Amino acid sequence: MSSVAVRACGLVKTHGQGQSRVRAVDEVDLVVPRGQTLAVMGPSGCGKSTLLHLLGGLERPTDGEVWLAGRRIDTLGERALARMRRRSVGFVFQAFHLVEELSAAENVELPALLAGHSLRQARRRASLLLERFGLADRARHLPSQLSGGQRQRVAVARALANDPTVVLADEPTGNLDTAATLDMLRIFEGLRSAGQTLVIVTHDERVAATADRLVSMRDGMFVDDTRLAGSHPRGLGGLIGLED
Amino acid sequence: MGSNVLVARLVMADIRRHRVQAVVLLLAVAAATATMALGLSLRGASGALYEQTRAATAGPDVVALSGDAGPAVTSALASLADAPEVVAHHGPYRIVYADLTTRDAASSVVVHGFAETPGTVNRPLVTSGRWVRPGGTVLERGFAAALGVGVGDRVTIAGRSYPVVGTAVTAATSVYPGAAQIGPYGGPVDYSGLAWMTRSDARALASSQDLPVTTALDLKLRDPAATDAFRDAHPDLAIRITFHSWQFRAEQDTVILRNSRPILVVGSWLLCFLAITGVAALAAGRAVEQTRRAGLLKAVGATPGLIAAALFAEYLALALAGDALGLVIARLAVPAVAAPTASRISDAAGLTGAAVATATALAVAVAVLSTLRPTLRAMRTATVTALTATAHRPRHRPWLTPLSALLPTPLLLGLRLTARRPGRAVLQACSTATTVIAIVALLTAHVQRERGYGLDGSSVLPNLRGEHDRRLILAVTILLIALAVVNTITFTWTTAMEARTNTAVARALGATPGQVSAGLSTAQLLPSLPGAIAGVPLGVGLLSFFAARNAAAPPPSLLLGAALATLLATAALTALPAYLASRRSVARTLSAETA
Repeated sequence: MSSVAVRACGLVKTHGQGQSRVRAVDEVDLVVPRGQTLAVMGPSGCGKSTLLHLLGGLERPTDGEVWLAGRRIDTLGERALARMRRRSVGFVFQAFHLVEELSAAENVELPALLAGHSLRQARRRASLLLERFGLADRARHLPSQLSGGQRQRVAVARALANDPTVVLADEPTGNLDTAATLDMLRIFEGLRSAGQTLVIVTHDERVAATADRLVSMRDGMFVDDTRLAGSHPRGLGGLIGLED
Repeated sequence: MGSNVLVARLVMADIRRHRVQAVVLLLAVAAATATMALGLSLRGASGALYEQTRAATAGPDVVALSGDAGPAVTSALASLADAPEVVAHHGPYRIVYADLTTRDAASSVVVHGFAETPGTVNRPLVTSGRWVRPGGTVLERGFAAALGVGVGDRVTIAGRSYPVVGTAVTAATSVYPGAAQIGPYGGPVDYSGLAWMTRSDARALASSQDLPVTTALDLKLRDPAATDAFRDAHPDLAIRITFHSWQFRAEQDTVILRNSRPILVVGSWLLCFLAITGVAALAAGRAVEQTRRAGLLKAVGATPGLIAAALFAEYLALALAGDALGLVIARLAVPAVAAPTASRISDAAGLTGAAVATATALAVAVAVLSTLRPTLRAMRTATVTALTATAHRPRHRPWLTPLSALLPTPLLLGLRLTARRPGRAVLQACSTATTVIAIVALLTAHVQRERGYGLDGSSVLPNLRGEHDRRLILAVTILLIALAVVNTITFTWTTAMEARTNTAVARALGATPGQVSAGLSTAQLLPSLPGAIAGVPLGVGLLSFFAARNAAAPPPSLLLGAALATLLATAALTALPAYLASRRSVARTLSAETA
């Protein structure tokens, strides 16, 4: 098994044509070892989300290569990409993107069912994850009946349903209040401790501070790559100005 | 396995969430498939009714009819009974032509003189009361129903009063009012009912007023299918004899349904069109939501095929459920529709396999055509784009802005809203035209002058064929109008929802809710206007394919009034959804858009 979870070489993504052509991601090289939590920061429009989409196979690069768990994915067809996503990638979005007409448990079961697991297996896995994130009593609730924080926890549970190689989170706390953000920080901390590879795009320094490594982007390029201590002596509450 | 569960789960959840849309689709498909299955099954159903009646009444394979009576005729007919092809016979018996009056109606009648104990061939099935006895008469059930008389009532035949002792059905004659198979001396026949009396009563009736009498013989052949061969084998009889085969009789039964089939089949196509436009409008209204859902399913690993399966399965399941409902309705309705008279046993009529298959294909077509575009859009849209999908941006039309700027605000808004979705405007126009076509057909059916089934063409006994046609056109028109109503409301609401940001901006810039509401209504009325105008000649043209040459046309003022009434109804129908949409909070709409 490759020790590298995600690798990108010379990654380029351009939008538009002619004079309005924009290089959203510009010659990016990136290696994310297994178990690492990588935070990507930068101003709006610098290409953070596009990078995340490229790493997860949601978009195809204009140039360059993307490798996931030792397998090149930028050359895969749509069906193969879908299969790769369902087994190897977990997405967490700022806007949650839960299926509104399915309950919390059914949303979490979704990737397992897509991967061909039986309903029983999918239910067992979803039950464990919801329990882990304190949502066991909300399993049958529809997303509209959940708070923003609870919805995002369901989204994280869904992202972990197939035990993915990497979890890609795009502004996961962007729509959350302080208390829900604190919850989410705890969850990411727990995932990091459990050895889950995480790539988190964020504007929030408190979220970035939970990472092992921080990459800063500007105009589609990496401008800084910093190894963080990875421990937070003051605790998570301290990070957001609250004491635990 | 997991994917199937997922598709089923998504379908069920989506149906639960959009119950109204599901019900509309179900009912629209049910209406279209029921009408089509009925239309296509009529011929087979009519044949089945005749077959069942023939079997239950030992119906003759051939009826030999002479326009005269007397020993020579009786002898010539009786010689046919000795033919080697004949295995059984009934008669010769006398048929007396008379007038029958009740308290309320008068009609021509043919009286068959029968034995008190029926023979082996042509044994009328008594459906109420008892078989003939001296002094009493049995009326054919379809005739009795048209007269409104039953067992115990009295009727007057050629001035003589008889108690009705029973009602019965037979396969030896055509359905009411075609009981007179040939006229006296082989001449023409009037609309007539059928009555039975004992042989002696029939003889007494005929001689009392010197009434016209003909003679008939019912024959059962060794090979029931060989009726033509039997006729051809007996060309040189001493008297002129007319042979009526059972196949001819079965064919005659369909005459009363001659217009029913095109009414139902053409009606079903129109219903199908409205169902597709309505469901397509509903689907288009949810296109953004569907695309977003497709995006998030793709993000968690769903393939394009699975996305298409989930989207399509929902509409297919609803369409097939609607098809099943429509077929059940058609099965229940077919005996009544296929037998406008009560002259046949009417519990045998069912749907033909071809009708079921065609109706099911129609339901699948509705599902495919109404979901194809949103499904393809959801499949083709890139995942990231789909996750942030917004309403489709209309094309910029530089000519429209200065043109509409000259108009009053509601007209300005209406014209621009119409121009945003030209395809939908065309559908709205077609939907209106379809409604007007149906109304034109209904009006045309009501201005026809028909010969009634009463004495000398009196309408005291109505023309059942015309009545039946009008009832069917009315039913189809009601269904078409119901679907058109749903479509108009759907079009208005979908337009309002898609343009909510623009209308909110217009209100922020000073447009009143009334102007916005009027603009939304105008957006539906603009395409409805050409639709209503085109519907009149289209309706007249369509009817010309099926109408008789001497058919009367409704006065132009009536047709114009129908088109105008359709437009007014459209305006009224758009008022409520337009009003509700125009009252939405501007601030909430704009902030939701920027969130």
